[in-house]
Amino acid sequence: MNAANFKHALFCAFITLIISYPILGLNLVSAGTSMGLEGASTVTIIGIFMAVAVVFLFQLCRDSAMAKLGQLPRPDFTSNRPPMTEKTRLKIQNIVILTIILGASLWPFIASRGSIDLATLVLIYIMLALGLNVVVGLAGLLDLGYVAFYAVGAYTFALLSQYFGVSFWFALPVGALLAALFGLALGFPVLRLRGDYLAIVTLGFGEIIRILLNNWTSLTGGPNGIGGIPDPTLFGLEFGRRIKEEGNLSFHEFFGIAYDSTHKVIFLYLIALVLAALTFFAVRRLMQMPVGRSWEALREDEIAARSLGLSRTGVKLSAFTIGAFFAGFAGTVFASKQGFISPESFVFLESAIILAIVVLGGMGSQFGVILAAIAVTILPELAREFSEYRMLIFGAAMVLMMVWRPQGLMPMRRIHIELEKQE
Amino acid sequence: MKTSVAKLATAVTASAALLGAGHASGEIKIGIAGPQTGPVAQYGEMQFSGARMAIEEINRQGGVMGEELTAVEYDDVCDPKQAVTVANRLVNEGVRFVVGHLCSSSTQPASDIYHDEGVLMITPASTSPGITERGYDLVFRTIGLDSMQGPVAANYLIDQDPERVAVVHDKQQYGEGIATEVRDTLVDAGVEVPIFDGITAGNKDFSSLVTKLKQADVDYVYYGGYHPELGLILRQAERAGLDATFMGPEGVGNKDINSIAGDAAEGLLVTLPPAFEEKPENQDLVEAFEEKGEDPSGPFVLTSYTAVQLIANGIEQAESTDPIEVAGALREGKFETPIGTVEYDEKGDLESFEFIVYEWHSDGTKTPVD
Amino acid sequence: MLDSYFLQQLINGLTIGSAYALIAIGYTMVYGIIGMINFAHGEIYMIGAYTSLIVISGLAALGIAWLPVVLIVALLGAVIVSSSMGWAVERVAYRPVRGRHRLIPLISAIGMSIFLQNYVHLAQGSRNMGFPTLMEGGFTFGDAGSFQTSLSYIQITIFVITLICMAALSVFIARSKTGRACRAVSQDLGMSSLLGINTNRIIATTFVIGAALAAVAGLLLGMYYGSIDPLFGFIAGLKAFTAAVLGGIGSIPGAMLGGLILGVSESMTSGYLSGEYKDVVSFGLLILILLFKPTGLLGKPEVEKI
Repeated sequence: MNAANFKHALFCAFITLIISYPILGLNLVSAGTSMGLEGASTVTIIGIFMAVAVVFLFQLCRDSAMAKLGQLPRPDFTSNRPPMTEKTRLKIQNIVILTIILGASLWPFIASRGSIDLATLVLIYIMLALGLNVVVGLAGLLDLGYVAFYAVGAYTFALLSQYFGVSFWFALPVGALLAALFGLALGFPVLRLRGDYLAIVTLGFGEIIRILLNNWTSLTGGPNGIGGIPDPTLFGLEFGRRIKEEGNLSFHEFFGIAYDSTHKVIFLYLIALVLAALTFFAVRRLMQMPVGRSWEALREDEIAARSLGLSRTGVKLSAFTIGAFFAGFAGTVFASKQGFISPESFVFLESAIILAIVVLGGMGSQFGVILAAIAVTILPELAREFSEYRMLIFGAAMVLMMVWRPQGLMPMRRIHIELEKQE
Repeated sequence: MKTSVAKLATAVTASAALLGAGHASGEIKIGIAGPQTGPVAQYGEMQFSGARMAIEEINRQGGVMGEELTAVEYDDVCDPKQAVTVANRLVNEGVRFVVGHLCSSSTQPASDIYHDEGVLMITPASTSPGITERGYDLVFRTIGLDSMQGPVAANYLIDQDPERVAVVHDKQQYGEGIATEVRDTLVDAGVEVPIFDGITAGNKDFSSLVTKLKQADVDYVYYGGYHPELGLILRQAERAGLDATFMGPEGVGNKDINSIAGDAAEGLLVTLPPAFEEKPENQDLVEAFEEKGEDPSGPFVLTSYTAVQLIANGIEQAESTDPIEVAGALREGKFETPIGTVEYDEKGDLESFEFIVYEWHSDGTKTPVD
Repeated sequence: MLDSYFLQQLINGLTIGSAYALIAIGYTMVYGIIGMINFAHGEIYMIGAYTSLIVISGLAALGIAWLPVVLIVALLGAVIVSSSMGWAVERVAYRPVRGRHRLIPLISAIGMSIFLQNYVHLAQGSRNMGFPTLMEGGFTFGDAGSFQTSLSYIQITIFVITLICMAALSVFIARSKTGRACRAVSQDLGMSSLLGINTNRIIATTFVIGAALAAVAGLLLGMYYGSIDPLFGFIAGLKAFTAAVLGGIGSIPGAMLGGLILGVSESMTSGYLSGEYKDVVSFGLLILILLFKPTGLLGKPEVEKI
């Protein structure tokens, strides 16, 4: 604890005071027709000064505290274990994933309607995150406008059903293919851009799509959105109380059971589950195929990969297109679940959340991504009482995660040798 | 796990809303769904304040058919996705009567679920005509439609015999809907509408728009949208020396517009529901609000109060808590409420809902225009 | 008539554009030095606007109304708070992740942006806060009766302050010791640290300068627009970043040029087309520039290092 340390601690405490007191301690209020100023409650003021004190003490004892922290054994369960062979690992993974899917497919029959509905949303996010994982995690292309492809999928279904009365099952592949086509069309010109430029162009593209959907009122209904999107049918059996389309039978009448709206929710959940599982296996298969290996090769070292004969554009484009394809899938399911879509559901924040899921889970790691999708979707629902603080905590968690565990919850592991870095 | 949390939430909100929570005897759950957080939370505040007050009042008078009303509150942030989640949760908790939602874009997808599940829904704030046009017999509202408000504004403008009127909107369901109504009425009456333009909600720079309005030399500008944007337009128009009278729907009639626009808000025309809180028969109610430190003058406070009251009246009249029978009773009956006599048409819209043109002043007060 | 209309839209565009340029400096300097997009920069600008409004309201409560004092005190207050915020953000969210995979700092920045937005939202509420009218009036040109072009005092203030800030910054970067160190660090971070430059301090300085300019923009635009809310920093940040990329990221004159081009193109779009397509045009412009001249208008071509 020397003088320099003390000075630094004092400085940090002072900065803390400056950044917290004016914003937290002085509240703007509209006094009649002009703005007035009001001191915050005593609790807030005490809180501010406690924060200042904490920062001061922490900075004062930073060195010794950090040294002590450094001595603690790091909870690293994986690093010293000899890596499993690819085969055993896949076998274990298969068992785990099949158990999960089996459990997940039985679960809705005992769960409540609200939680099944939420679980469907989780599955949609899992699909999105697995798709984005291909682009960001595996190919290392930062896509900040991923939500655009999601929107393409959702709007494809909504528009097709509105204008041509197309069913969910027909729209599903069409929506996904159209989203993939968009991915291809966008990817072709922009993929030669460097990382951060690519990020910003995709962001711009995402916004453009949303604004167009919002402004093209004659086609998309603009801000009014599109409603009355049909539910999926089971071989022509409808799940509604009343039949919407001539010639269809309703599910409960066909099986001679009482009408229960939960059937529909469960059915949708099961569809989402099947599609999410499909996405999972497809991506996993791709990862083991040459195309998947080349994604990672390009991510790790573009120049080396190119000198080994990989086509940069081809590889990147494949990742981009495949990622967009799964977003289209998710979009179709989302449209069907909501029954109503509007451009509001496809804002930048949505892209950021999907990206956060991928990063929190561990880029490239499929299990991690699934875990993160569940956490990010369910935690805010559980913490509804703290709903005001939801986004605050979310933002802070993103920062802390990057600082302390940038590799994510379950980092992706591949058999590899790490060379000592030469300083 | 989730249900236990949900139960906790119900318990918390219920005890907050009710003075004597914990009755084991029968209770009727009233769902209140609207934005408690997010950009339009202040309108949500009005909705919750009105509905809570109605529940308290009704319970104090012995409840409905001897049963107490319990509030089940959920925040949908005016996000369509969250609205669906909230709707499902309400259904899950056995709620069969809902007061909500606030934003038309949330009400629409949520009403699909309520319709499927046989839940009766009364929205105190959604004015989009589309909501009641789908033949859902359990959907009602206690507010007028864009298609009622638009013509009132347009006819007032036509009476002023203007040469040119510009119509601007914020590209949202509410704003664009009402602006389109106004434009159509104006054009039908032969008024020239040289500008029909959208802006982006949340934007702050309207200097280009103001310049455009100035060049078009319009006498009146109708704005469909909410107060934050109109406040800025008024202010920037005054600075640029635009000499036109502005007019807007009830979404701009909010005291906050004065803190944004300052003196520029003087002379703004606003179509509003009549000031229910000024009616003599509502004075007891106004006092009750003031005792709680709440403001009854927001446009959605008493409509929400009425929504709860109508549910209670409907249940009593139908002598049943079956939403379908209650809906039938609502369609047939005639009810005296704080917002006047309520009668419903087949679609679930009010037979009549009056809108009055007010002139807004820079001190936040308003006077009716004759 | 058309000409005066055009002129008016040009003035509108240049006003917004110069404010964009002030914000864009923060992006361009940070990107030039450590190669990351500081997504939270728009939030720093928003905090600057809030602080200046708080200071102005405070002064009004004290009964101080003399315009120059109000402006200078508000400016100082905003600059101090925003700079501290910029420093703290760099310290907490960016320094620990520097040198990691380039996605990591970016995610951290997005997280910080969400955090700061909600920090202000919780502290000050989500309502739009009206700025008091401090400057009224201006010049008008053209005959009475036809369309008059007006140039308000506040617009002039924005031009003048932006020019002063830009000039001061250019001199600072070109002449001062710290400025030279900044340029050295942006050329080669590792090498400069070997040559005895305290790179951590230089990077922190960059954040502080960027934040200070953003705070100035916050006050100016707050007065110009007339109201602020916790969400308005994000869009402005995005626009300013677009301006920085447009002009060539890393280049300070580029940021100025990019800001002006963006401002004018936005104002022309809303003036001649429709306000709805304003954002489409600015993002479309960005995409086109990046496709055909990825280094921006004034950026130096980058050689891919092997």
